[in-house]
Amino acid sequence: MKRPRELLKCNQGIGFIFSLVLIGFLVYLELSPWVHREVRDGFTLGFFPVLAVVLLLIFSLILIVDPRRKETAEDLEAFALKPFLGGVLIVGATWLYFVVMRTVGFLIMTPIYLLFFIYFLGLRLWLACAVSAVVMTVVVYGAFTAIGIKLPPGILEGILPF
Amino acid sequence: MFQPEAILEAFRLFFTLEVFYWMAIGVVAGVGVGAIPGLSAATAIALMLPFTFTMQVAPALGLLIGLYKGSVFGGSISAISFATPGTSEAAATVYDGYKLMKKGQGRKAIEMALYSSVSADTASDLVTICVAPPLAMVALKFGPAERFWLVVLAFTLIGSLSGKHLAKGLISASLGIFLATIGSDPVSAVPRMTFGVWWLSGGIPFIPFMIGLFAMAAMLKEGIKLLRETEVVEKVKASIVDGLLKSGAGLTLKEYVRCWKEMLIGFSLGSFVGFLPGLGSTVGAFLSYGVAKQVSPEKKIGEGVLEGVAAAEAGNNATVGPTLIPLLAFGIPGSIAAAMIGAALMLQGATPSPRMFKLYPEIVYALFMILLVANVFNLGVGRIFGRFYARLGLLPKQLLVPLVFMMATIGSFAYRGNPYDVLLALIFGLMGYMMGVFEIPSAPIVISFLITPMMESNLRRALIISRGEWIQALFGSPLSIGLVVAMVILTFMALKMKAAEKIAGVQGETEKSSDQDGKPTGP
Repeated sequence: MKRPRELLKCNQGIGFIFSLVLIGFLVYLELSPWVHREVRDGFTLGFFPVLAVVLLLIFSLILIVDPRRKETAEDLEAFALKPFLGGVLIVGATWLYFVVMRTVGFLIMTPIYLLFFIYFLGLRLWLACAVSAVVMTVVVYGAFTAIGIKLPPGILEGILPF
Repeated sequence: MFQPEAILEAFRLFFTLEVFYWMAIGVVAGVGVGAIPGLSAATAIALMLPFTFTMQVAPALGLLIGLYKGSVFGGSISAISFATPGTSEAAATVYDGYKLMKKGQGRKAIEMALYSSVSADTASDLVTICVAPPLAMVALKFGPAERFWLVVLAFTLIGSLSGKHLAKGLISASLGIFLATIGSDPVSAVPRMTFGVWWLSGGIPFIPFMIGLFAMAAMLKEGIKLLRETEVVEKVKASIVDGLLKSGAGLTLKEYVRCWKEMLIGFSLGSFVGFLPGLGSTVGAFLSYGVAKQVSPEKKIGEGVLEGVAAAEAGNNATVGPTLIPLLAFGIPGSIAAAMIGAALMLQGATPSPRMFKLYPEIVYALFMILLVANVFNLGVGRIFGRFYARLGLLPKQLLVPLVFMMATIGSFAYRGNPYDVLLALIFGLMGYMMGVFEIPSAPIVISFLITPMMESNLRRALIISRGEWIQALFGSPLSIGLVVAMVILTFMALKMKAAEKIAGVQGETEKSSDQDGKPTGP
């Protein structure tokens, strides 16, 4: 007998969760006025989006009943919250890097971002991290400049020769 | 269809230093990317796509096709060197390649992989050049209803053939349809599915979508794996690579000729598989390998023989050219790489469709030339540097992941200078990672995202022509009915091929083997 947590990880569980979310989304769409607005060829604005959600729902329901419903995806079985949150942190930090980089400049922000990123992923030698971060930044900057793409100069505007 | 002026114009487009320069860069980088486990052709092409915007059409195609061909071969280098296929396409190469490596014949195995890849690739490119133009002529006769059914046929094949689980493949295809409906209604231009977010009213841009789904998701996967594991295998790998670099004799002409049957099997099956949307080069490699093993049991394929490497490598590289046939003839990409090449053509203002042969014949002919000449570059680069690329497998992931992530961020921004594109790429990166966790294949979502507008507009046009009569619109011509029948037959045939691949007992190992270090996954 599988525990509820394991049940949720198998295809049947995934299909069940997907179906619940999709039913909720379908109700939301049906309640949205724009979905029923008719355009000039007789179709409603929501016809194709609703069709896509219905298809998603049908295939999610199939996941609940098909012969492979008891199988669990290998990566899902090994899924752990802590490393995943590390991944979310990478995404969040990258967005933050991008926002600050646009103002401060690529050449200043990128080595800092790379330095912490490399360290975070497990290379625990600060000097090696710093040298790698600087080298990678300069190489990427050079490559982009060579193909005619200007990266945000930020506060170095007017100082940089390129 | 034959247009001498267009061919002359194509020669003018093709024979420039810039094209050769970018093609060489593409192949050099592609083989490198292929040799690094965790990076794939899709990642490399997605990363490079925004930069093609600043190039002329022929150099852009040279870069992307070079990357594609190079990376499909490059995957075999790490597969042979340390039983870790750089790409899933090369997983079938592990069986014999790694055993040859252990026998001290690593150099021979890599050269066999190179020669069989290039031979089958060149032959399948010739098939592409012969098949695509007549097919496009047929497609030109299609009306909206026929085009609609053609797209439905592609959906069915892509959805049902990608990945290991039918329902998950179809979920992926449906998700692609859903995402493609975000933006504006194609007939009335009224915003739909934007949830009040103004920057979504133009729809989801293809480049950040691809970069997120392939580059960022792949790096997130590697990054999360690094956070989970601390195992160090570099020392073991280093000694293997040193052994490889020193290992003796290369491939002889006699050995190459001896594998003609396996290469022929690889070329034939690979070309057919490449032509069918959704199957891809991994299936091409495994199918060729399985058939070659059955056809010649006396050659003991699977026990470390060159014939096994030849069948697998010919099978995967033979899909490269034919995967462009549906794109050029019908405007429907047959694989992720074809979808990205299609996107690059769109960025250049030459949207792939049957009319492409009429509107931009010079671009099509230049593409054909690039397809053929890129093989020569692949051969040269592989021959000179092949064994040294094995060292790339030692590149620490702690450096690779941040570098690719940073390039993906900059690439999504550089394309239009829109900061929300970066946000979208990051969101799709997370989504792509989660799809991987759930084992939902990513090929159907990309291809259906790209062809949904075509399906929608053709259905609506067909209904306008038939004045709202659905049956008349969809089944009003013998060609439409023929396409529905073809859809049933082709899906059945392709599912049978997939079943045959499973019977060969190798498919399940495809993805598994790409994650393993140091030990072969073969039978």
